[in-house]
Amino acid sequence: MAAAVFVFGTSVSFSQVVDTSDWVCEFCPFESGYRADFEAGTALVDDDSARFGSASGYDEDGAYLDFSGEGSLVRESFRSSWRAEDLGLDSRALEFEGGEPGRYDFRVAYRELPQHLFDTTQTIFRESAADTLSLPSGWDSAHVTSGFSALTENLAARDIESERETLEIGGRYLASSRYRVSAEFRRQKREGVDITNGSYFTQSSQLPRPFDYETDEFDVNLNYLGSNFQFELGYYASLFDNNNAALNWDNPFISAVGAESAALAQPPENTFHQVSLSGSYRFSAYDTVLSFTGASGRIEQDDAFLPYTSNTQLTVGSLPRAQLDAEVDTTNIGLKLTSRPHNKLRVSAAYRFDERDNKTPIESWTRVITDTFNSGEVETNVPYSFEKTQLKLSAEYALRPAIRLSAGYDRTERDRDFQEVASQTERTGWTKLRWRPNALLSIDVKGGTSQRDIDRYNETLATALGQNPLLRKYNLAYRFREFAELRVSASLPVLPISVSGTVHYANDDYSQTLIGITEDDDVTISADMNWALSDNTSLYVFSSYEDIEAKQTGSEQFATPDWRATNKDSFYTVGTGARISEIGENFDLSIDYIHSDGTSEITTFSVGGSSSPFPDLESKLDSIRLSLTWRRTERQELVFRLQHEAFESDDWALQGVGPATIPTVLTLGAKPYDYDVTLIGASFRYLVGE
Amino acid sequence: MRTVVRILLCVAVAGSAAVGAQEAPSDSNAEYSDRGADTCLACHDDDESLGLFRTDHAVPSDSRSPFGRGQLQCEACHGPGDAHSARVRRGEERPPILAAGFAQNALCLDCHDSDVGSGWHGDTHAFEEIGCSDCHSSHTPHDAVAETVTQAEVCYDCHPLQRSEALRAFSHPLFDGKMSCTGCHSPHDSAADFQLARSTLNDTCYQCHAEKRGPFLWEHAPVAEDCSLCHAAHGSNHPGILSQRAPLLCQGCHSTLGHPSVLRDAGGIATAIPSQFLLGQGCMNCHEQVHGSNHPSGSTLMR
Repeated sequence: MAAAVFVFGTSVSFSQVVDTSDWVCEFCPFESGYRADFEAGTALVDDDSARFGSASGYDEDGAYLDFSGEGSLVRESFRSSWRAEDLGLDSRALEFEGGEPGRYDFRVAYRELPQHLFDTTQTIFRESAADTLSLPSGWDSAHVTSGFSALTENLAARDIESERETLEIGGRYLASSRYRVSAEFRRQKREGVDITNGSYFTQSSQLPRPFDYETDEFDVNLNYLGSNFQFELGYYASLFDNNNAALNWDNPFISAVGAESAALAQPPENTFHQVSLSGSYRFSAYDTVLSFTGASGRIEQDDAFLPYTSNTQLTVGSLPRAQLDAEVDTTNIGLKLTSRPHNKLRVSAAYRFDERDNKTPIESWTRVITDTFNSGEVETNVPYSFEKTQLKLSAEYALRPAIRLSAGYDRTERDRDFQEVASQTERTGWTKLRWRPNALLSIDVKGGTSQRDIDRYNETLATALGQNPLLRKYNLAYRFREFAELRVSASLPVLPISVSGTVHYANDDYSQTLIGITEDDDVTISADMNWALSDNTSLYVFSSYEDIEAKQTGSEQFATPDWRATNKDSFYTVGTGARISEIGENFDLSIDYIHSDGTSEITTFSVGGSSSPFPDLESKLDSIRLSLTWRRTERQELVFRLQHEAFESDDWALQGVGPATIPTVLTLGAKPYDYDVTLIGASFRYLVGE
Repeated sequence: MRTVVRILLCVAVAGSAAVGAQEAPSDSNAEYSDRGADTCLACHDDDESLGLFRTDHAVPSDSRSPFGRGQLQCEACHGPGDAHSARVRRGEERPPILAAGFAQNALCLDCHDSDVGSGWHGDTHAFEEIGCSDCHSSHTPHDAVAETVTQAEVCYDCHPLQRSEALRAFSHPLFDGKMSCTGCHSPHDSAADFQLARSTLNDTCYQCHAEKRGPFLWEHAPVAEDCSLCHAAHGSNHPGILSQRAPLLCQGCHSTLGHPSVLRDAGGIATAIPSQFLLGQGCMNCHEQVHGSNHPSGSTLMR
């Protein structure tokens, strides 16, 4: 039978007819029937740790039972598969998909993701309702935390943790070789406790905030595939629900009369709807493709407002409206043209427009200060809008078969409403040389500069906003950027070893900024090696180093700079591991070790120039994972694993900060992460089916 | 975990000449094998080759599939195989078959152009001539890059910095394999910067963090514009994956006379004179609603 190759493509690579009548595929082991492997096991964890258990599900010491597995079923044209991960843990996942390839397919997936932030936190607050945190009975208020005589006896452990459950249901239907419809629904439910703060002018309490969010997403697309073109019409919706409109809490400090409790507004429910059309057209000449994308969306939010204040002792006018009627229109347009006008030359041009048009009504609001007093001032809300227009041009020319030179020019314009800079333009030029003398070596060198100019910094507006007129917010400031990158990849000619390395440098200079960020440097170096010692053994090593340094200035006198600060973040990561299979025929071993080190150094310099270095903010992770599989029989495997993870951190923001350490802030007393956890596990895996 | 084969694919250019839409072989059957897959399986009967038959690429009932009725079987993806499978004279090297690299992309896109999407052409990966097989393993039912638990390791082959970032004190849960790069990125087809999954960076973050979308009565301008003005989404040494600590982070943009512009030095740590502006959550000890507030009295982001 003759075969036409162009069954589902927009272009024809081999537009020919091949006689395949003798191609009977006699030796092709097509899949049919069912197969599955089931794994049941146990793990022992020797210590509690919130951070170790975050995402993994092993947050407490003790024994865990766990079940995993995967399988497939093929019956004639119907294929299906399922996968289960860690069913015994809070990080369980389950997935099932199936369909008739060429006609339809579907997928159902469920996943839980735990997040454990702290298990060292304590609070005096009791959750008297889903949205209310109350003081314990007999609480003795004071102006400062050291005056809380009933503090110690009323502190109770309250872990800061949450869980995200995600359900996805989707499918595709191929109505014909040209049309395809796909739809996906995703529900994310996230609930738990996180940290928020309730403040009163000069005092504040860290609160264990209960939250309960739901986000539903719908994604529906219609695809059309022509011989030279394709397009996709899509609709996307995201609906956010919050089961708590407010968080009410009692003030543990001495309050003004009537201000003994207050309410924090919780994130309002909102919706986002977006329609989109994207596609591409392939011209016959010069391998030219024109692609486009257009999307129009709307964000809405209409939650009922809380009152100005819950303090009935204050006289405040009525709200100008009962809900915001917030509306933001989004527009995203993209056009891209790529072409190969000559067999040595490739060119690309892209245009992009993004707009966030905030149409939220502007009203006048009475300024009530933290439920304590009515300032008498009136203020108006500010609905920020943004526009971004980008043009990107690039070309690549093959100087020689092994040498390619490319260059590009980007221009980005940003416009903003209600901010100190109404319009700014960034121009970037870059060039890159790629040298590939053979299949074993590749060297890329890239460098460029970027200059961001602003039309003017509106110092009048800045002053009206209470800002120092010499301040330049770093995203609105003039900036000159230089960047360079070197990448080398090589494979040794005799030994099966490949190595690669990257060096990247970028410097941002805000030379027209007197107050604010003045300079930013980023250097990254990475290297890795892979070695296939034999068919059964491979080894890898990787390492990377990054150094980020930022400098900024400030002014206590609201004039020229009278202080400065440097922030330096350094990161060092190294890892190594091996895969050894068929040890003594029946054993497979994998081993991985990672060390990751992060240090943040902050130093401030006051008016007289005297420096004040903060203690380093350190975090160190050491992780070793080992897995040994014994293939006992063709259908039975035993898996042994060992995992050891040690993490220590120095964090001056938490270290020694108990609930009453800060005179005017009642904290939860969270401690920096410091754990040393070992997990050993064993599981039995059984394979059924064909 | 990476294999040497995948690394070599990342480095090497396929041995055969680049095959693209503009090249059309002049002969028909002469360039193809005599018996299709049966020719190939005579030598390639290893687990990796046979793994293909547990995937959607080997579904005889699907007319689109390489093994559908009348299709080109192995040669649909690897190109004509007559030269490679023919008898080789002693001392001569066997001619290579198209097995990897950017040159093979045209064959993949013949069938998967619409799956990849219209934004692929001219996008970063295409411009850098990344081959489909540099990331994808089509000969196994477990394509590492297509599964959440293993995907990031594939991406790290060419993006080593992001591996280091994922191991930092605060990051998204990629290290445990509970989240994948494609949770935020769309490497095949994206018109947004950084190949993000949705139209803008913020829209991408709102997929999981829709509570930050607002619009709020009192907006915080950088939040509404770009989450990365304050956050380092791949990982950082600061809680909340912030790029810098408060109060210095905030003082980069806030200079109002009074407490916002006062220098907070190391004299405010717990062992000295504990400062509410430094310890705990810093500025957020009071200005909690940093992402915006919908409270009528929330203009200073304290309600």
